[in-house]
Amino acid sequence: MTQELEHKFVSELEENQNIVHKICKIYTDDPEAHNDLFQEITIQLWKAYPKFRGDAKFSTWMYRIALNTAITLYRKSKRQVKTQDFDTVLNKVKAKEYDDTEEKQLQLMYDAIKQLNDIEKALVFLYLEDKNYKEIADTIGITEVNARVKMNRIKTKLKNILNP
Amino acid sequence: MDELDFLKKDWQEREKELPKLSYNDIYMMMWKKSSSSVKWIFYISVIELTFGVLLGIFYHPSFEKELNLPPAYNYLTYASSLIIIYFIIRFFRNYKRISTTSSVKGLLENIIKARRTVRQYIIFNLSFAGIVSIGSIIYVYIQQSGGWNSFAAQATPKDYLVIFVISVLATAIIIGFFLGIYYLLYGILMRKLKRNYNEIKKMEL
Repeated sequence: MTQELEHKFVSELEENQNIVHKICKIYTDDPEAHNDLFQEITIQLWKAYPKFRGDAKFSTWMYRIALNTAITLYRKSKRQVKTQDFDTVLNKVKAKEYDDTEEKQLQLMYDAIKQLNDIEKALVFLYLEDKNYKEIADTIGITEVNARVKMNRIKTKLKNILNP
Repeated sequence: MDELDFLKKDWQEREKELPKLSYNDIYMMMWKKSSSSVKWIFYISVIELTFGVLLGIFYHPSFEKELNLPPAYNYLTYASSLIIIYFIIRFFRNYKRISTTSSVKGLLENIIKARRTVRQYIIFNLSFAGIVSIGSIIYVYIQQSGGWNSFAAQATPKDYLVIFVISVLATAIIIGFFLGIYYLLYGILMRKLKRNYNEIKKMEL
């Protein structure tokens, strides 16, 4: 029984692992942290799996649990972020500013996203995943209006980071 | 175009570059939670030692002077600290080993090793507490009755019996007390490890 459940779970996760990898990419900076987060999400998904009834798609359910795990973990470690890091990133952003090749531009955007807070990252992630506002709102557990407002603020914030 | 929409295209194209984990990789991850139990065993042992050392430095109750413990007592304390540090190092290595194992078989072996270390640690601590307590009770009792010479001169078989009974009883209480604490501190983690072990074992078959 458990064995069957386990097999089903691992297969489904294997199939949908890209979602988790992408979340790790948004929330972490190095491969080690990436793996740690992946593992933590796997454990949380597995813990929550018995309650997954199958009335939603596995991937939809996964977005919710995985993002929640990332948000909770990130919130715990947020206190450790040093202001110095932020300045270094800003300097880097400024230094790269004049290089306008597309590749650099994208890198700047990714760097900017790294500076957002835990919830904002979740919103950006779902936005990049091409989810509509209703889906974003449902996954994070806020209202659709709230999701739109937040998203607009994030866009402004990103612009400010990119053009200080 | 909006900056984020510009990024969206790139984001979706980069999906190909994402790492790809196999069924087994993911499967292993589910069982790596053993490493968090082992990590806690390591933390608790460090806290325990720190607490013991702080107690030894700062807490000197007034009856300690009256008891007049033998100087050997101090050496025993140092020796036990060294042995506990040795165990802490082993706990740490167990933790590192479990979190870097990549095969189910290795994980099983490491869980067994980790549990064995905890058992040895507890047995060491309990027997150390037992020996120290028997030793100090007999010593103090003889001191109170005027030192070994005067005790030996007037001691009746009854006195020996009293020492024996008191020291055994007191030691039993002390060991029971420590056993209770260890049961609380490590018992839960040990059971978790055992449960994990059984689950992984079942899967492996």
